[in-house]
Amino acid sequence: MEFPDPTKGTLTEEQLVKDLQAGEMGSFEQLANLYQKKIYTLSFNLTRNISDSQDVTQEVLLILFRKGHTFQGKSAFSSWVYRITINASYMKLRSRKKEPKVSIEDVLPAFNQGGFQYEKIQDWSENTESLLFGNETRNIIQKAVDLLPDKEKVVFILRDVEGLSSNKVGNILEISIPAVKSRLHRARLFLRKKLSNYFWEYKARKERK
Amino acid sequence: MICCKECIELLYSYLEGELSAENETALEDHFADCPPCIAFVNTYRSTTLLCKNTLKTNDIPDTVKIKLKEFVDKNKPDVL
Repeated sequence: MEFPDPTKGTLTEEQLVKDLQAGEMGSFEQLANLYQKKIYTLSFNLTRNISDSQDVTQEVLLILFRKGHTFQGKSAFSSWVYRITINASYMKLRSRKKEPKVSIEDVLPAFNQGGFQYEKIQDWSENTESLLFGNETRNIIQKAVDLLPDKEKVVFILRDVEGLSSNKVGNILEISIPAVKSRLHRARLFLRKKLSNYFWEYKARKERK
Repeated sequence: MICCKECIELLYSYLEGELSAENETALEDHFADCPPCIAFVNTYRSTTLLCKNTLKTNDIPDTVKIKLKEFVDKNKPDVL
């Protein structure tokens, strides 16, 4: 099925915001085209649920349709869209039964008194190509990200997956830039450890065969 | 000479290119003598790439696209 290419014949974010503030109603369809993928994928990465992400996308679009003209322009429009998407996704998560989270401290690197790591570190970075598109690896990665505590998870998704700057992430979440950096580092350490365990098991399994 | 613990603390800033020249030299001196920390940096970098490539490919399913289009058509404010 073919869908219109949202990048063709659309307004830039800046023009779109001007039109919204001026009450130019014709821009709503373009607004939806420009933002719905961003809204849906961010929500899906936070909730990992198709139906919740569809609901969140609809709720956010409705807010943009109804309140877009009141946007003050104090921060970037996209930051505002990200912020309301995160809030709507958290509302969905709150209504769901809580699953026990792994403590991030248990997974961060541990050191002996000399400052050396306890972990036996194996370099699997050269062997990821063949695994990258396998369903098993994909599931493992998604599960590892889902296990991250919320504070670290949202920073990791905005910064490393969406590719936003530390500045912008700090602005969206209303936290300092050092806090963004520290949460991102902790998230990466956590995920590295989870993936290391997986690749370690994968290698052992292959060697047994 | 810095230890592995300090090395990992500096890793984020090192990869962002935000370290002072002094700290960068100290870190690289440590790497020269510590293969496990080199493996750690390599896998830290790969983790970011793997996760990004995996999560970025979560596109909107076609069935949801259809529902969203119907929703937009129904709810977009009337053109003045």
